Amino acid sequence: MVNLTIDDNQVTAPKSSTIYEAAKLNGIKIPILCHDNKLKPFGACRMCLVEVEQMKGRQIPACTTPVTEGMIVRTATPDIVKARKMVLELLLLNHPIDCPVCDKAGDCDLQNLTYEYKVNANRFTDEKFHHKIDYNNPLIERDMNRCVLCGKCARICDEIVSFGALTFIDRGIETKIGCEFEDALNCEFCGSCVSVCPVGSLLARPFKFKARFWSLTKRKSVCGYCGTGCNLTLGIKDNKVLTTLYDENQGFHKGQLCVRGRFGYQFINSNKRLTAPMLRKEGRLTESTWEEALQIVADHLKGGNSVAALATPRLTNEELALFKKMMVENVGSKNFDHSAGYAHSALTEGFVRSFGTSASPASILDIQKSDLLLVIKTDAYETHPVIGFEINMGVKNRDIKLNILSDKRGKLSKLPGAKTLVHRPGSEVAILNAMAKSILDDKLVDASAASVPGFAELVKELAAFTPEAVAAQSGLKAADIKQLAGSYAAAEKALILFPIGQAYAGHNAELASAVANLAILTGKFDKEGCGVLCMAEKNNSQGAVDMGFYAQNGGMDGLRIIDACAAGAVKTLFIAGENPLISYPNHTKVKAALGAVECLIVADLFLTETAAMADVVLPACSFAEKEGTFTSTDRRVQHIEPAIRKSAQCKSDFEIFSALITKLGGTPPANPAAQFAEISAATPGYAGMSYLSLGSEGVFAPVAVTPALVLPKSAAVVAEEGSLSLVIGSVLYHSGTLSQYGEGPMHVCPEGYLEISRKDALLKNITDNDPVTVTSSAGSVKLKAKVTSRMPDGVVFAPYHFGAAPVNTIWSGAAVTMVTLAK
Amino acid sequence: MNPITPIINGMKITLKHMFMKPVTLQYPTERPKVAARFRGLHALNVSHDKAKCVACYLCPTVCPAKCITVEAGEDANHDKFAAVYEIDILRCIFCGYCVEACPVDAIRMTGEFELANYSRKDFVYSKDRLLEKK
Repeated sequence: MVNLTIDDNQVTAPKSSTIYEAAKLNGIKIPILCHDNKLKPFGACRMCLVEVEQMKGRQIPACTTPVTEGMIVRTATPDIVKARKMVLELLLLNHPIDCPVCDKAGDCDLQNLTYEYKVNANRFTDEKFHHKIDYNNPLIERDMNRCVLCGKCARICDEIVSFGALTFIDRGIETKIGCEFEDALNCEFCGSCVSVCPVGSLLARPFKFKARFWSLTKRKSVCGYCGTGCNLTLGIKDNKVLTTLYDENQGFHKGQLCVRGRFGYQFINSNKRLTAPMLRKEGRLTESTWEEALQIVADHLKGGNSVAALATPRLTNEELALFKKMMVENVGSKNFDHSAGYAHSALTEGFVRSFGTSASPASILDIQKSDLLLVIKTDAYETHPVIGFEINMGVKNRDIKLNILSDKRGKLSKLPGAKTLVHRPGSEVAILNAMAKSILDDKLVDASAASVPGFAELVKELAAFTPEAVAAQSGLKAADIKQLAGSYAAAEKALILFPIGQAYAGHNAELASAVANLAILTGKFDKEGCGVLCMAEKNNSQGAVDMGFYAQNGGMDGLRIIDACAAGAVKTLFIAGENPLISYPNHTKVKAALGAVECLIVADLFLTETAAMADVVLPACSFAEKEGTFTSTDRRVQHIEPAIRKSAQCKSDFEIFSALITKLGGTPPANPAAQFAEISAATPGYAGMSYLSLGSEGVFAPVAVTPALVLPKSAAVVAEEGSLSLVIGSVLYHSGTLSQYGEGPMHVCPEGYLEISRKDALLKNITDNDPVTVTSSAGSVKLKAKVTSRMPDGVVFAPYHFGAAPVNTIWSGAAVTMVTLAK
Repeated sequence: MNPITPIINGMKITLKHMFMKPVTLQYPTERPKVAARFRGLHALNVSHDKAKCVACYLCPTVCPAKCITVEAGEDANHDKFAAVYEIDILRCIFCGYCVEACPVDAIRMTGEFELANYSRKDFVYSKDRLLEKK
C-alpha cells in the first residue's frame, strides 16, 4: 500500500493503482471519459487532468499515472477546472450536440460533464463531422459523428472480446473509429462496445428510440441463457423489459455480457407468449381456464410410475425441488429427468465416481489464477461466451498458456500462443487417456496420486492407450499428445474446461472421468487455479443436478422416458419447459413417442413444437417474472426477484406445482423462500443459505472432493468411406431452443446451417448459402451451407437450436454422425 | 354612526359602477381578446410540412400532471419522430413547462380556450388534432 494526499485527504491505495483508481477507491471523483475498470489505462480524453505537487504543478492525466509514496495530488484547482472546460469545448466542437434525438441522453458522460462544468458556449468554431452512419447490421448502430475518440470500444473489442472489429483509422482531425477497410460492422455482436461507449456513437438498435434512460426502472437479475450465471440489469418501462443496462461493477464479469445476454431479452415480452391455458378438444388446442386445466392435469398425474416428467434446467432451484417432491411424494413416480438424461451425465456419473461429488471442483474465478488452461472443444467459447472472455483476458493479460483439444478450430484457437490440436471427432477420451498414460510413463505423476483408489488398476488398464496407438486413430501426432500431457503436468497450476450440453453427447461421464484422471494424477485439483470446470449448458443446469432432478434409484432417464412413451409404459408425460422434439436426439422417435402418450402436459412460455403436440398447455413465467435461485456452473447460488409483474393468465412453474400438489392432496410450501429453506437444509453445500445471505453477488456452494481414478471407456468411431463426420453443437448466438424467441439472436443467426471445410466444399461443388441435403441413417434435412476455414476436412458442423430445420432429424444421439451431402 | 350612512356608501359604489365599462363579457356573442402569452390549448409547430417534434421525451418528463404521452418512431431515414403524441387535456394544468422544456421549439400554447366536449376520449388530443393549423 502507498500513502498519498489527494485534495488534502490522507489516503492509501495499492501500489499498482493509478491516481484515478486511488481517488475512486477513496471516494474522490475525477471526471473521465475513457476509463473502464476492466480495461487498461489509455489516457485519451484528457478530462482526468490533475496537478501533482512533486511534478512542479504540471497537469498530468490521473488515469495513466501510477501512485507513488507521499504524492500530493490536487484534482480541482481553478486551473484544472479551466483546462477541463477547454477539453469539453474542444470535444463539443465537432460533436453534433443532437441530444434530443440521441438515445444516450441522460446516460451520456459527455452530456453530464458538460452540465457539471457549465460549458454553455464555445469559443471555437469548426465544421461538424459528416461521417456516414452505419445502419448495416440489426443490432449496433455506429454514428461516428458523436464519437469523442476515447477508444473504449476498440479496446474492449480487442482486450476482452478479442475480436478486434473496431480500431482507430486515419490520423489527426480525420481520426475516427472504424472497421476494416471502413466497411460495415460485422462482428459477433456481443455489444460490449455499446455498453462502454461514453457518448451515443454506438447504440443498441433493438432499444433505439424505445424509451429514455431516465424513464427506465433498473432491476437486477441473472441471465437466463447459459450456465455462466452472469448478472444483468434489466431496463424496464411500463412492465416491459426494454433493454439490458451496463453496470461496470456488477458480478464477477464486471457487467460484461455476450450477444444473448445483451440482445436476447425480447422473449420476456414477446407477443408470442402463451396467454391462457389450453386444452386439446376435438383435436385442436382451445383456450381454457386454469381450474379446468389443472384439474385435468391432476387427474392424469394419479398414475404412479406410468407418469414421467421432463424439466428444463432453466427452472429455478425451488421449482425443480418442488417438481421432484411432487413427482416422488404426490405422484409416486421415479421417472423424471432433465437435459435428455445424458447431457448432465458428466456431473452426475463422471464427477460422482471420479471426484465423489456432482459439481465442478473449480470456479470461473480460477481461470485468472491459473498458469495453463486445457480447453476441450473450441465450442467452450460458443456455449459460454463470458467464460470465453475470461479466457481471452487471462491469455492476453496474464500470459496464461492455452491448449485446446478440439475437433475443429474456433475463436479460442486465434488467441496469442494458443495451441490447438485438431483431432478426429469422437476421439477425445482416447486422447485424454493417452495423455494420462504419457504422464505415467514420463513419471510426471504427483506424489498424492499413488494413494488414490484405483491407481494401480488405472496404470494397468492404460497400457493400451500409448500415445502412438491413440495418435494413429485420432489423427494427431504422438509427440503432440506427449507434449500436451507434459505441459499440463509441468504447469504449476492448470485448469481443464469442457462444455456439456444436449448437443455434446460425447461430453459424457467417460470424458469427465478422463479429464478428472489427468487432474488427479498430477494433483491439480482442490487448489487455487487448478481443477476441472465442467461448463453446464443452461442457467440452472448445475442447480438441477444439485436438486437431484435426474433419474436415480431405478427411475428412467430422459431418453428411456421417451422410449417408454413410445412403448406405452408412460401414459402421462409432464414437460416443464423442455422442447424435446427439437433438442432431443432422433426427431422421428421423439415425435412418435410424444404422439403415443395418453396425456402430454407442457408448461412453457411459448407454443413450442413440443407444446403444439400437447393435450394440456400451461402458460408459465420467464426468469424475469419469478422469484427463486439459480446455481451457476461453478456453483454460485444467486437469488432473483421478479423484475416485472407477470401477466394475469400466467403462473410460474412454482405456482403450477403448488396448485397440483394441493389437488393431489399434499401441502405445498408457502412461497419460494420456504422451499429454499428446505433446499438449504437438505442439499450438500447449500447449508446456511437464505435469500438474505445470498445478497446481490450470490454465494458459492462449497464442493468437497474425494478423488478416485476410474478408467473411462473410449468408443472408437469408425469412419465410413465417402461420408463426412457430422458434429453438432451450440452456436454463439443461441442457447438451447429458447433464444429462438429472442429477436437479437434471430437477427444475427436466424436459421440452422452446415459448416463445411473449403476442401470438402470444393470437392462437392458447394458454395456459401447453397441449400444442401444432409442425409444420415436416421433421416435427412436441408441446411444452408457455410464454407469456413476452421473445419478440418471430412468434418461438418451443424448447430442444434432451430425448430425450422431440426438437426435431430439426422442425429440420433451419437457424438459423431456419418452423413452424406447432396446439393 | 348614523345607521343610514353605510347604506349610502354602498349605494355610492353601485352608482359609480353603473357608469363604468363592465368587466364581464356577453359571451359568446362578445369574444375576449386573449393576451399573447395566454396559455391555452397546445399546438405542435410545423416546419417543412413536418412536425418539428423530434420525440425527445423532455415534455412528458417535465410535465407535472403527467398528461403527455409520446412514443418515438424511426422513419425511413433512421430519424426520430413522434409516432404518438397525445395530451390529455383533462389532466393538463396549463403550466407551460412543456413549451419551456422543448429544445426544438416544437410546441407552443395557443389562445384557444374553448375546450369543452361531450366525451372523455375527446379530451385526449392526438397528434393530428394538435398539429398547427395553417
